[in-house]
Amino acid sequence: MKFKADEIASVIQKEIEDFKGQIETAEVGRVVEVGDGIARVVGLSSAMAGEMVQFSSGSMGMCFNLEENSVGVIILGDYLQIQEGDEVKTTGELLSVPVGDAMIGRVVDPLGNPLDGKGPIVTSERRPLETVAPGVAGRQPVKQPLQTGIKAVDAMTPIGRGQRELIIGDRKTGKTAIALDTIINQKGGDVICIYVGCGQRNANIAAVVEALRENGAMDYSIVVAASASDPAPLQYIAPYAGASMAEYFMYQGKHTLCVYDDLTKQAQAYRQLSLLMRRPPGREAYPGDVFYCHSRLLERAAKLSDEHGGGSMTALPIIETLEGEVSAYIPTNVISITDGQIYLEPDLFFAGVRPAVNVGISVSRVGGNAQTKAMKKVAGSLRLDLAAFRELEAFAQLGTELDKATQQQLDRGYRMVELLKQPQYQPMHVADQVISIYAGTKGYFDQVPRPRVAEAEAELLQFIRDEKSEVRDAIVETGQLSEETEAQLKAALDEFKQRWAATSAAAQEEQVAEATA
Amino acid sequence: MPEEKLPSRPAHVLEDPSAKAVARVYTQAFLNAAASVGVESALEELTSFVDDVLTPHPDFARLLTSEVTGRDEKLQFIDRVVAPHGSEFFTNFLRVLARHERLELLPLILSEAWLEYESRAGKRRVTIRSAVSLSESQLSEIQSRLDAALPFEPILIPEVDESLLGGLVIQVGDTVHDGSLKTRIKNLRHRLKEKYVHEIQSGRDRFSHSEGN
Repeated sequence: MKFKADEIASVIQKEIEDFKGQIETAEVGRVVEVGDGIARVVGLSSAMAGEMVQFSSGSMGMCFNLEENSVGVIILGDYLQIQEGDEVKTTGELLSVPVGDAMIGRVVDPLGNPLDGKGPIVTSERRPLETVAPGVAGRQPVKQPLQTGIKAVDAMTPIGRGQRELIIGDRKTGKTAIALDTIINQKGGDVICIYVGCGQRNANIAAVVEALRENGAMDYSIVVAASASDPAPLQYIAPYAGASMAEYFMYQGKHTLCVYDDLTKQAQAYRQLSLLMRRPPGREAYPGDVFYCHSRLLERAAKLSDEHGGGSMTALPIIETLEGEVSAYIPTNVISITDGQIYLEPDLFFAGVRPAVNVGISVSRVGGNAQTKAMKKVAGSLRLDLAAFRELEAFAQLGTELDKATQQQLDRGYRMVELLKQPQYQPMHVADQVISIYAGTKGYFDQVPRPRVAEAEAELLQFIRDEKSEVRDAIVETGQLSEETEAQLKAALDEFKQRWAATSAAAQEEQVAEATA
Repeated sequence: MPEEKLPSRPAHVLEDPSAKAVARVYTQAFLNAAASVGVESALEELTSFVDDVLTPHPDFARLLTSEVTGRDEKLQFIDRVVAPHGSEFFTNFLRVLARHERLELLPLILSEAWLEYESRAGKRRVTIRSAVSLSESQLSEIQSRLDAALPFEPILIPEVDESLLGGLVIQVGDTVHDGSLKTRIKNLRHRLKEKYVHEIQSGRDRFSHSEGN
């Protein structure tokens, strides 16, 4: 169909003819001071706290400080356009963001404006930026797992739907990678993912979007981006905007995952705003309510009761530490708010253990209830075994002679560490994880040289999938490792062990033959 | 060459909200005291002091407000210069200001005093902005209409702002009633845009949704 120019022109003409302008009534004030993302406004005598205001240049702002003679406004947009003397208008609305299905697959700024060049986002629904978290009666315990697809996390620090699990570590230790793998692993599932990039480099956010797109994860994800070059007010509101978008789906009974990357930068943006607004500084110059800033954000993550639809919002906040200092102000705050933490260590990272999860101090306070029965069965003692191995390893480095049993325990430990390594963007299905970890803990990889553990694992999973699919299917369907399935799995593993021994012996012979020839 | 007016900061930007708040306290006290003592010409005396004494003699004003002049010296000035001419009540008021070192607030106090005086008399200032200057008859019609609509007697302050294109903008205190053509056109533009974005989107959805429209 072709558009006819006059048809459109006449429609517009009619629209203009019928248009009856109504008198707009608004409270106004004038800017007396502006700079660094904040403005001081006189007038606005009936402004509300958190109310959205509009500057004459078109930028929006939010009332942040209500003082006796003036109002402190944080500017959400370009503050260089605003001059002293400009008019500021109240809108009578609290700051809100567009929400809805149209947001999925899009990259937006914290106000919901598209950043990906794919045209306007058409949605009539909006949600206020700050909403009260569901109360005690509105929640139910976390009992459904949220699979991250990462062996080290799913086995030892399992995450449940509605949980808040902190990812904490120094810079460049793979914090974002864990969050991204978790998002990618939700492919084909029922979880809507929201990634909030707050104070990140623009290049990093672009890389995240690209990674999600390549892995087909943008189909069920929203990216909220407030980069390091955006004004501090936008960085401050970004996590709340992400939470609002997730809440919309949660209250519809859907499951959501919200990644806040990272809250350290958000706290810094909030500190900047508070200091500019002359709120009194406290420890590390953060304002007194920086704890509340994070607690009210993370409290919004919940597993709703069945009367409320049973939706959930899982939060994965990320905190960057400085030189492993977890006792700094912001890390301790967020650790105390969340239901556990995944602690990443640079030493492990550089030793090639990736994901560099420190098993000893990573915990999950509620996720254990949510773990699938099969995983619980095989991974129950894994944490303690690995901790014992770490101690033994330190002892063995002294060069003392070891008895056979200790040596065997060491060998098993080395292989388990190898087994828990996992490349990025390759999340594993929980059934595969169960099979791998079962084989590792029962010693089926003990004869495999350490550098070849990953190869052996891949072959094992391929073997099970090709020839013993009934075992895998049983785990997938029931989520349990019944005695019958376990016996089948054992038989399959024995068969694989023999086959592996035969092929590796043949390969060795071949090598020897080549060398002698 | 005609002298070009250099761009300067608008006057209200130099307003200091906290100074204004302090001035308001003195204004209230001044008017209340005048009412209780029964001095009726207090406000006229204040106006004439600022207009006829301080404005034509800026040096004297500077002496009164300067930091260099001590408090006692300022009091002596007031005793010598103002006391013989002014009323006892007004001189006392100046003495209080001098003792509190707030003499520089006098112009602010004056403007606040007029506002306060008007509001006590049941009047308020209403700014009327229009694209062209309004005639007397138009203003009087607006006056009578506003008089009927507002709970107080309006004092009209007409202003001309060509960028409004047409219509009126009426400001009462902080509240603005905007009926200007400029704002209406802006709203129309926004509405047209919204409408057509929706139309285009629904057209697109017809093809992308499996169930059709």
